[in-house]
Amino acid sequence: MATNVQFALSDSSGCEGVTVVTISGELTSASIDEITAFFSSIVEDHPPYIIAEMSNVSSFSSSALGSFMGSRQRFVEREGDLVFAGLTLDLKSKLSLLGAHKIFQVFPDVRSALVAYTYEKKGHSQMVTLSFPSQLRYVPSIRQMISRIALQKGYSSRDAFRIETIVDEVCNNAVEHGAQSSEHNIDLSVGIDSKKIEIKVINLSNPEKIEALKELASTVSSEAVSDMANKRGRGLALIKMLSNDLTIDISNGGTSVHVVRRKGD
Amino acid sequence: MSTTALRQTLTLCFPSDLGYIPAMRKFVADVLTAHNFSSRYIYRSEIIVDEVCHNAVMYGSKSIEAEIVLIMHLTEDTVEFFVQDEGGSARDVQQLKSAVEKPRLETMSPGDGKIGLEIVKMFAEELDFAVGEDNLTSVRIVRKRDISEAK
Repeated sequence: MATNVQFALSDSSGCEGVTVVTISGELTSASIDEITAFFSSIVEDHPPYIIAEMSNVSSFSSSALGSFMGSRQRFVEREGDLVFAGLTLDLKSKLSLLGAHKIFQVFPDVRSALVAYTYEKKGHSQMVTLSFPSQLRYVPSIRQMISRIALQKGYSSRDAFRIETIVDEVCNNAVEHGAQSSEHNIDLSVGIDSKKIEIKVINLSNPEKIEALKELASTVSSEAVSDMANKRGRGLALIKMLSNDLTIDISNGGTSVHVVRRKGD
Repeated sequence: MSTTALRQTLTLCFPSDLGYIPAMRKFVADVLTAHNFSSRYIYRSEIIVDEVCHNAVMYGSKSIEAEIVLIMHLTEDTVEFFVQDEGGSARDVQQLKSAVEKPRLETMSPGDGKIGLEIVKMFAEELDFAVGEDNLTSVRIVRKRDISEAK
């Protein structure tokens, strides 16, 4: 029996590995065969990560959902997925009641689904940058923000706490040992992907502290963490202990601290 | 020396992705807490930031690489927010323009989709927007500290 459901392949914004399908109409028990037939027709010769754009779907029955689940399995077997985008609030809440949110990822729109795909599947890094005044009162807010981002991006609470500690230490150092200037902010950049987080903090160097800092940086790069515990620079020793890579670059112009921490290490 | 002259600026840039917004609104709240604004002021500012950033992600971002820039200028008694996005379709920009320019407290019909900006207007002393080169769109919101508010 023919129904009013329509399927159309749409532009995937040049995103390799993705097929965008726009679906419209009523997804009822009568449309099961059409859903299965459509996805069977694209499973072999289209990229297996399917974004189903559903903003023009007016109803979604549980039997139709079952058909989507069967189709999804075929894409998953090809290392892809089937996700939903643009569902109305009504349908989203209905799918949630059916428990579908445990199986299908749901995104507000196609662009959000593409962003998630490039992050999760392609391993693209996302960047957050912050320029802030050289004052200690901002550091707690910054450490918590980065921790929240790490948690949101799927890092464990243990990872998030360690990342938070690193950010706290590096930013505190930048404020305490950098030049105090109301005209020059401290620059923090955080690159996050599904495997690691990279933190970089750049501040204006304090001319009176440059030599001492250079000596400290060279100690950090040459000594084992256990040898540093009783000397100055315990904060840096802590950062070194919690990170997979620590690079410090000090010049008359500025001081840059670059830290890499891998997920789950 | 007047402390109102001391202006501090924080510039935050993050991917145009709804997942980042809770962390950003909490960050704004934490910064305002550090500046001793009242909890009511902070909560209202959080709502503003949430709403404007949400709009920027949903209607002001076209590419996968789109970013949102959030700038906060803080003085002793004023906070100025700038939220900049890469700009949406001509229709989205026009909708934003009419929502911003519409007189405050104009009768709203439920479900017309602009209630968020109405709330922003209600909480802010100033709200305006500009479309710059390359369609970059920025919304500016000014809030003043209410000295009568209990901390």
